[in-house]
Formats: sequence, C-alpha cells, structure tokens
Amino acid sequence: MLASLAWLSLGIAFLVVTVLAVWGVWGARSLVRREFMSFFYSPIAYAVLVVFLGCQGFIFSGTLELLNATGPRGVEWPLQHGLSSPIFWLVFLAIPPLLTMRSFAEERASGTLEMLMTSPVRDWQIVLAKFTAALGFYLILWLPTLFYLPALLGIQVLQVHWVNQLGSILALLGGLLLLGGFLVGLVGRWQGEDFGLASVSASAVGLLALLGGQFMAWHETEHLIEATFQLDPAPVASTAVGLVLAGAMFLALGLFVSSLVRDQLVAAQVALALGLIFVAGSYAGSVAEGGLGYRLAYFLSVPLHFERAFTRGVLDISALTLYASVAAFCLYLTVRSLESRRWA
Amino acid sequence: MIEVSQLTKYYGDYAAIRDVTFQVGRQQIVGFLGPNGAGKSTTMRILAGFLTASSGKAIVAGHDVLTDPLAARASIGYMPENCPLYPEMRVAEYLDFRAGLKGMHGADGRKRVEAAMERCWLSDVRRQLIGTLSKGYRQRVGLADTLLAEPPVLILDEPTSGLDPTQIIETRKLIRQLGERHTVLVSSHILSEVEMTCDRAVIIVGGQVAAQGKLAEMVPAGGRLEEFFLRLVEGNTAQTVHA
Repeated sequence: MLASLAWLSLGIAFLVVTVLAVWGVWGARSLVRREFMSFFYSPIAYAVLVVFLGCQGFIFSGTLELLNATGPRGVEWPLQHGLSSPIFWLVFLAIPPLLTMRSFAEERASGTLEMLMTSPVRDWQIVLAKFTAALGFYLILWLPTLFYLPALLGIQVLQVHWVNQLGSILALLGGLLLLGGFLVGLVGRWQGEDFGLASVSASAVGLLALLGGQFMAWHETEHLIEATFQLDPAPVASTAVGLVLAGAMFLALGLFVSSLVRDQLVAAQVALALGLIFVAGSYAGSVAEGGLGYRLAYFLSVPLHFERAFTRGVLDISALTLYASVAAFCLYLTVRSLESRRWA
Repeated sequence: MIEVSQLTKYYGDYAAIRDVTFQVGRQQIVGFLGPNGAGKSTTMRILAGFLTASSGKAIVAGHDVLTDPLAARASIGYMPENCPLYPEMRVAEYLDFRAGLKGMHGADGRKRVEAAMERCWLSDVRRQLIGTLSKGYRQRVGLADTLLAEPPVLILDEPTSGLDPTQIIETRKLIRQLGERHTVLVSSHILSEVEMTCDRAVIIVGGQVAAQGKLAEMVPAGGRLEEFFLRLVEGNTAQTVHA
C-alpha cells in the first residue's frame, strides 16, 4: 500500500516535471532552433559528423565480417561488437564535450549571454533549450546508423496486405495523422503561417494511435506488415534507449562545465576529463570480478553497461537511472551556476 | 516608468553603486551621465535584470525587477554596452530569433521584425551576415532588437560608443525619434551627446547620484554642462581624498 502510494506520487511528480519542461522548452523554441542551427554554422559539427560516421562505418564493417564468418569465429550479439570496442568509446567520449563546449562559454566570452539573460525567459528555459538542441544534434549523429539495421538484423519483409482489424485501422489512421501533421507543419513554415502547435499535436496524437494500433494487433494472427528478423530486435531497442540517455548524461555534464568557464577549450577538456569517470572503469580490466572495486566500476562505466546489458537486449534500469539522474543533476547545477552570475 | 530607490550593488567588498535613487517619467529621454567606472552599466544591468542588486528597489513599468523579473524584462528593450550579437547569423534571422525569444512567433513575429527593420533602416542588409556589418549597422541591429516587442521602456548602454561622426548623428536622430513613443534611458560619457538628445539627465559619480533633473534647470544659469559635470567629478575625488 505504502509502496504503491510512493510510486504513484513519484509518477505524478515525474509527469508534472515533464509537462513543465516541455512547456518551458516550447516557450523558448526559437532558442532551441538557434542553438541547433548554430552547430551547422560552425565547422565543428561537420568534423564531428564525419569522424563519427567513419567510426561507425568501421565498426559496422567489422560486425558484418563477423556475422558472415564461418567456423568458430562469429558474433552472438552484433551490436555488442561495436559498442564494447575501446575505439568507439574513445571517439564517443570526445563528442559531447565538442558539442557543448561553446554553449555557455562562448556566449559569456562574447557577451551575448547578457542579451539572453535579459530576455523574458527563465534561466532553466535557457538551459533546457540549449540541452534540447545539443541532444537533437546528438540524435542526428546516430541517424545514419539506422541504415545499418536491416543488414544487422537480417530484416526481410514477407508481405504487406490489408487486414480488417481495429488495430490495423488505428495504426493506419495514426500513421496518416503523423505524416499529415508533419507535412502541415512543413508547408506552414514554408508559406509563412504558424501551424506549429497544431502540427506537433497532430503528430503526437498520430504517433500515439500508431503505437496503440500496433499494441492492439500484437496478439492477432494476421498483421498489416509481416516481416522476419533473423536476429532479435530487442537489443536494438534497449541499445537505443541506453544511447539516448547516456548521451543526455554526457551532454548535461558538458553543458554544466561550459557554464562554469569562459574558454571553450577549457570547457571541452574539463568535460572530457569528467566524462572519463563514466568510461574509465571499463579499461580497468584487472579488477577482480565480484569485489567492491568491480561493482563500483560496473556501476559507473557506461561501456560495461552496454557490453553486459543494453546490447544483449537487457534494459538495465539501474544504469538508466544513473544516466537520467546525473543528467538531471548536471542540468540543475547549470541553472544554479547561471543564476549565480546574476549575484556576482 | 522607472523608479529606482536606494539601489546598492557590491562586487565583493567594493560598492559599485551606493544608494542610487532616481525616477524617470513617461516618454522622457533621460541621459545617464558619469565618468567611466561610475556605475552606469551596473545600474542599467540591474534594471535590465542581468544582475541582482545587493539591496534597494527598482521598478520598471510597474514591475519590480527582483520579484517579477519576467514581466519587468518583457517591458524593457535593453541594449548592452558594445552591443553583443551573433556574428554567424543574418540580420533578419537574428531578429526573428529575438522576436521568438520575446514570445512573438509566426506571422506576428515576422511583422514585428519587418517593422523594427524599417524603423532602424536595416531593410537593405536583411540578408547580410551580422559579422560582416559595420559597427554602425550592428548598433542598429541591436536597437531594432530592443524595439521588437514595442516595450514601454528602452535602456541603451552607450549606444554611440565606437561610431564615426555621421553614425553618431544618425543614432542620435533615431533615439530622438524613439523618445516619441518610448521612455528612454541612455547612458553616455560624452556630454555634448546628452545635451543634444536628452531633456533630462541623471549624473552619477563614484557610484552615487550627484545630480538629476532637467538639463536646463540643473546647470546654473549661464553655465555649461561641461563645467558643471567637471565640478561634480572633482568634488567627488576631493571627498574621497579627504576620507
């Protein structure tokens, strides 16, 4: 009874905070757009994209080789091969600091932070908007890897045919609504009308209907689209969740460091050094398994979480909680550090 | 429109301003005068909501800047010293961004941006990168930004610093125009500037208000603002030497 009450209140608090955060970011959406576009104004974004894509391609080709290998060589969890390699994490570690180093440090150095902080938006809205933009660019980094998935999972679409069920009708309508909302928003922007809210809400409802339809049709015998996976799709889902939250953690850390210093380079270096806390444990191979040292290393090191849990389709809640709480704490500290400038 | 009472700001042990008290009425152009380091920028930053005062009260357009910061900031168009802008953005794009930040989106925002560009003679450089603009144009972009939301109060920190004579004359003309619709507080350390644009002035020396009121009444009959100002500044240094 007490436990369920605690969960309920926790859930309600989470919901309220989420709604407030979304509302705040929506209010500062022009800042999100500027921050997001500013990645593309600077050459850093392109350098990061190229290096990251190169790294991903290298890992993918290695994974493919293992998947096609005959004899004793091979790979049980294809995603594990890439996401547990030290090369990948070395590259990964450097990326969030590069994305966040400019956010506050540069604005403070050039004085534009004064313009930002005298605008009629709250400090936390500024921080959340910058965070959202960085997270958006981080997701774009991963977007090209979607093309690897059909090959990695061995997806084959067997047939697409109409099935007369409530679930599939709902899914179809949802899909159309999602697409329609997106198109209306796009055309609206292009024609100079503001359908932002209508477009976003239509897309959200569409997405909900799509997922709901999918859920309803889950246990039916016939489906709208039938496809085979030669490998389990669950690891992809859990890895995606892990990557988004781990990225959020590193980005929030970088954002906080950037709010403390005036120099971009210092911001990047300090953020990288702090990020090492969450990666270094995986390189301490000599720690005896099962001991306190190992437990601590496992608790903190993101590469180990991916190696042991996420890439095997296990949603490690303790790791996700770590990521989310470190991210939230760093964002909170960023807001406070920004606020403290007003009192300086 | 602006009511400042007993405003004090400490940076550590150093008091940048002490017990600053002055009022600015509706649709006045008030010059905020003082030598460098007198606390002009500090006062303006407190009014604009960038800094928080150590003590004292500041009310802008009926909103206390400490307890009701968003409403106060929404009713102020603030241009900081040196007018910091994003050099990698284009003029119209930057103003669009600022309009969005001030809560004007879509068609409404675009209309405001057009109007502000019109008023500050920016329409012919709308597609230009801000980084490639001359200092005078950049200053005008900053001014256009302050006008976007049609705020009742404009706070301009040294809008003419670093401009050449023609640009100064243009800016002065623009500020005079703005005074017809807005309450303007404009800081400067160039006296002739203030004499030409403002009808009132607040003189701040060593972090304290040394004189305020109508320019014509403030300066003793027959005297010049320059002499009056110099006397105030010298009086202050004499005091500090004594102390």
